[in-house]
Amino acid sequence: MKISRRNFLKGSATTLFLAGFNFPVLANTTKKKNLVIIMLRGGMDGLCAVPIIGDKNFEKKRKDLILDETIKLNSDFALHPKLKNFYNLWQNNLGAIVHATNIPYTKRSHFDGQNLMETGGHIPYAIKTGWLGRGMKLGELKGDGLALALPMPLLLRGIPSNDNFYPSKKRLPRTELLQLLKSIYAGKSEHDLANMMEIIANRSMMSSGGTSMSRKNSSLALKAGLELKKINGPRVAVFEVDGFDTHAAQGGVNGSHSDSLIEMDSIFKSLEKGLGPEIENTLVLTLTEFGRTIEQNGGRGTEHGYGSAIFMAGGLLKQSQVYTDWPGLRKKELFEGRDLNSTIDARSIYASAMSTVFDIDFKRIQKKVFWGDKLQNLSEKLFKV
Amino acid sequence: MKNFYRKVAFGLGPKDEVPSDPLKWATSQLNEIPEYSWKGKILPEKELRNYYRDYVYGDRKVLRKKFKNDKEGYKREKNKLRHLTGQKFWWNLELCIRHSEALKSQTPVLAKLWYFWGNHFAISEKDFLAQYTTGAYQREVIRANMNQNFEKMVQEATVAWTMIHHLDNNDNVGPKSQEAQWAKEKGRKVGVNENHARELLELHTVSPDCGYTQEDVIQMAYVMSGWRPNWGKKRLETGDVHFNYEYHQPGTKRILGKKYKSGRKSLSAVITDLVNHPSCREYIAMKLCRYFINDNPTKEMMEPIIKAWEKSDGFLPDVHKAVVEVAFNYSDKFKKFQNPENWLLIMSKMSDVELIPTPKLMDLYALGLKPTHEQRSLEYLLRELGHHPYLAKQPNGWSDVSDDWMSPELLIRRLVYAKEAYYKKNRKSQTNEFYEEMVEKNYDNPSEILKTINQQGDLSNKHVILFNLPETLKS
Repeated sequence: MKISRRNFLKGSATTLFLAGFNFPVLANTTKKKNLVIIMLRGGMDGLCAVPIIGDKNFEKKRKDLILDETIKLNSDFALHPKLKNFYNLWQNNLGAIVHATNIPYTKRSHFDGQNLMETGGHIPYAIKTGWLGRGMKLGELKGDGLALALPMPLLLRGIPSNDNFYPSKKRLPRTELLQLLKSIYAGKSEHDLANMMEIIANRSMMSSGGTSMSRKNSSLALKAGLELKKINGPRVAVFEVDGFDTHAAQGGVNGSHSDSLIEMDSIFKSLEKGLGPEIENTLVLTLTEFGRTIEQNGGRGTEHGYGSAIFMAGGLLKQSQVYTDWPGLRKKELFEGRDLNSTIDARSIYASAMSTVFDIDFKRIQKKVFWGDKLQNLSEKLFKV
Repeated sequence: MKNFYRKVAFGLGPKDEVPSDPLKWATSQLNEIPEYSWKGKILPEKELRNYYRDYVYGDRKVLRKKFKNDKEGYKREKNKLRHLTGQKFWWNLELCIRHSEALKSQTPVLAKLWYFWGNHFAISEKDFLAQYTTGAYQREVIRANMNQNFEKMVQEATVAWTMIHHLDNNDNVGPKSQEAQWAKEKGRKVGVNENHARELLELHTVSPDCGYTQEDVIQMAYVMSGWRPNWGKKRLETGDVHFNYEYHQPGTKRILGKKYKSGRKSLSAVITDLVNHPSCREYIAMKLCRYFINDNPTKEMMEPIIKAWEKSDGFLPDVHKAVVEVAFNYSDKFKKFQNPENWLLIMSKMSDVELIPTPKLMDLYALGLKPTHEQRSLEYLLRELGHHPYLAKQPNGWSDVSDDWMSPELLIRRLVYAKEAYYKKNRKSQTNEFYEEMVEKNYDNPSEILKTINQQGDLSNKHVILFNLPETLKS
């Protein structure tokens, strides 16, 4: 009997998404738990990062982009061979993947897509805050966010007083001057500016200013890991990795998509190093605006697509596994006949992660952060609750 | 009202007279495109593109082969090649030309609008465009068309080499074109690349508000197929953009319900229709208001700009005058958070910072040399401030919304570089009297401002406070 790809996967190693039971979450105040989001900008190709094994449709459509020597994860999926650090986590039960997932956005524009991946909404530019910022607000985590980027990402907006770190090579002005500016801002009801100046003044007191540090994501992740490790340090960190928009020369193992994946991988490694044992109380998730077309284009690249994958890491994961309700890659199984479908709303994973890390009831997050949208509680399935 | 000078320009410098009619001062700057105020060398885009050619050819076709088994040798020779083609110098020269228009010209209002349009038709960070041609593209395609109709700017920007390369239209091949046929016979697969087509609709003209569909995007890509650089063995992808019918999708296309015949003329015909679509002028009026006036433009604000557009058929000087007038009328009501580059220029103009290296210093540069720190100072500074105009992260350019510029690190940069700028000032401007006069000239509440900054005794600290006051950050 010939088993269709979809049914085969359903019946084997990969777990189904059944509607999870919503067990009440008990607040756990003894442990500080951390959530890290790595934004992968440009559209991460889930099928390049986590290719399916032995699918003729896939191999035919991507003749020039198929990777050699992938790392086998299970009978159905492999890992991009350059993701060595992630594989290391995987082997220690600290890495997992959700495949064939995306935010509910299907229009293939980066700007709209990135706006929606950060706001978590349905209409581009309609929402001015990020889902993570709103989740933090619900968890009363003011001042607990850290962005490892120069501009503050939209994802963290919705709660004031977030910090960002992207070191300047110059010395800060004296604390006294910073305090004066802070009081000027406060006096003029410039609350955002006053909040910022408060953070800057604290930083100036903590250090002597001009320590020059690398701004590579791997160095920033080490710093972030060390900060997250502190009991009174931030609880949320956000990274950005660019360059996934590989319309041309996406290439194989050494192509341009690999470069961005390697950068992502370096974040996993440095975070683990910086966090030390606190990796056990941390959850790291990736976020992208969409996946890429199955078929390669004229420039040996791929176009904007739909379904992608989420990398997950950290000790709050239940186990190493590829979770998916695999939709298949035959033409009729593809979204609009061209893209990997998304069988799970990625926001279900993020909502469940926030519920787990922030100790907030899933339903509250669903209601307050995602406007009561139909999301599944996957906390029990994916994470250690 | 005095914030108007910072809102539409960069404030008033020590040598600037206070205009008797501020609105007229601003609108009179918008009719002509004057000569550059930069008195040093200015290279045409084509020449800069040739340096780009020499770099990519030398790297891809020569060095990679020659040093196949010698990683260190490859690194060393590639570095030499960078300097032989001016890779670290040209974009600094472009920034000198750009910033001179804000600081040294008689038309700073035009300069601020130029930055707007450069960002509207943004070339984001890709390959080495920023280092070689982005600045020249902004001069020859954007600035040169600021006294024309919007349509002309779109037509030229769309087929500019830098834009075509930036948005991958060289990879956009009609699936039924002759080229696709040949490729198929050779076992290669080529096809449509939607990137440029999508951005032409979404970012450059009508915006998603007009309600185009995915099918419209594909049809637009078909129309654009064939517009590509003239490829050659030596020049590779750096040849002039031309229309190559062999890459063009044959047959009639349909965009937003209208049919277009196949061929060279179809792109221009579609652009004509796009710029005349009501969504286009509404979208651009909104963006202009967001850049100059506040983060959430109102209908009332946009209306006079849309009217001016309709009346003049998108004649940019008229549109610009309408924008400036709206900005004038709202100058007391709304303050706009200034992006880092504009903030830097405001500070430099008002307090007489010698920001730009002299033409003499820049013209000392010769190919093959490593540019000096002074010659590279602008590029370095803008990157540090988090806002290099040629290095936007995405094709939608840098943000116009204040929240995107509000973060500890970005504000730290304004503190430390305000301090640094103070020490770049001429001694004569490092006096209390200079600051009193400048504050009087540029702020509506001079005594309050002076009282605030005088809480610090040291003049360099007064300078840092002044340029980080809400009144300066928001204009």
